[in-house]
Amino acid sequence: MIQKKICILGAAGVGKTSLTARFVFSKFSDKYLSTMGVKIDRKQVEASGQVVNMMLWDIHGEEYKKIPTSYLRGASGIVTVIDGTRPNTVNVAHKILQRVNEELGTLPNIFLINKSDLEDDWNISDAMIQTLRDSGAPVYLTSAKSGDNVESSFLQLAEMLLNP
Amino acid sequence: MNVQQVPDIIFSTIAKNSFQALAPAWFEIKTNSEEILNVGGEWQHYFLEQPVAGQDVSQACEMLIGMLPMTENFELPQMQLLEHCYTDIFAIHDTNSDWLLFCDVTEKTNQLQTYQQTSNDLILIKDRLSRTLNRYVGQEVSERVNKGELKFDAAGERREISTLFVDIRGFTPFNECNDAQVVMQTLNAYMNCMLDSIMGNAGMVDKIIGDGVMAVFGVLPSQNHYTHDAFSAAQQIQTAVAQLNEQRLQAGLDILGVGVGIATGEAVLGILGTHERRAFTAIGRHVNLAARLESNARKGEILMDEATYIALEKPHALIAVTLALKDIGETQAYALLSNS
Repeated sequence: MIQKKICILGAAGVGKTSLTARFVFSKFSDKYLSTMGVKIDRKQVEASGQVVNMMLWDIHGEEYKKIPTSYLRGASGIVTVIDGTRPNTVNVAHKILQRVNEELGTLPNIFLINKSDLEDDWNISDAMIQTLRDSGAPVYLTSAKSGDNVESSFLQLAEMLLNP
Repeated sequence: MNVQQVPDIIFSTIAKNSFQALAPAWFEIKTNSEEILNVGGEWQHYFLEQPVAGQDVSQACEMLIGMLPMTENFELPQMQLLEHCYTDIFAIHDTNSDWLLFCDVTEKTNQLQTYQQTSNDLILIKDRLSRTLNRYVGQEVSERVNKGELKFDAAGERREISTLFVDIRGFTPFNECNDAQVVMQTLNAYMNCMLDSIMGNAGMVDKIIGDGVMAVFGVLPSQNHYTHDAFSAAQQIQTAVAQLNEQRLQAGLDILGVGVGIATGEAVLGILGTHERRAFTAIGRHVNLAARLESNARKGEILMDEATYIALEKPHALIAVTLALKDIGETQAYALLSNS
């Protein structure tokens, strides 16, 4: 079986843990509990006709303290999460990704703009989304609450890992 | 402090207590490989199954896949190896063999979690408040408020301002003849015309009262005189409403009009309320006058008081009218009727 380490990164409170819980356990909780350090979950998926064990490193948000680069060792792919109601989390995502690129080189990455269920509070412009797309990475509007685009985006990343 | 200066008995007591609290476990690993040579310490604290010599590290601890062989020392802080148990992992690269040291930091991490949770909660609350503020005063002003660049004395301050009231004409009968969703959709469409025009001219929305809005000019920073901003906002509201009405007519929807009143003068600005609920407020004679002028304004009409008219340098397009205003009496006012 193919094992791949995926780091899930982004500002605090963007929904990294919720997206992981939705993808791995099909669960969602409205209660926000800040992640300390790293929580690791696994999910087996099928991509390009092969079974892939995705080891998901749900890493604490960037605001409180800088993410140690040691967490990124051995990573094969990145999920960069943005809060669709907080445009400043786009800048945090860009900064984190720049550091990842400096440390590890360019890895397969997907952007998840989360909380798409909060239509009234949505605050990410099309221009911002375009700047993310310009980096060459796929961009998904996801909702950990409803599950919209969560499974499909992680599966897309699995495909990218096998077909770089 | 140099460790060698510490008396042996003190050092050994500290070491013993720390050792017990950290519950250390370790793997000795063959250099340039993943093979475990020896396992020591309290492994059961970190692993459900006992790691054994000869095993690969990634078999004993799946999460370390891709991290070995070691080329340098590194540290993985606060790893949740087991549920609710936090571990600092130290990777130590040595000439004869490499080492992985596991230390329990659950207690310390749980204490830090309280601080981090509070800090993150505050970030989320601040962002939520910014969003709310954005809706009332626009993003640029909201950002200036957050940076502390926009200040007035919340305890009370006298200032010259212009106050604008705008209200939809005939909304009450429209409300009574239509279902709730249609009423709200229609109200939102007209509100957008009003709020965008106000916020686009450095106006601060003081209150939304049913189908009307009160806004003040001269509180938020602007490159223009506040009276000019208020008049520009009023004209833009009437233009936007006229455009909206054209679209609604084409779509076969009901159309409504708005009346605007503006007055200028001194007001007391401040924050009223308790800790639980506070609101900005502007109090002054001209504020009541602006409300009365708005009540008298017809669909598509802007009515203003003399102080506003003078501050605008007496625009030719305005017509002088004498109005009998409730609780105020006979008042000289100036009217501009748009085509809407």
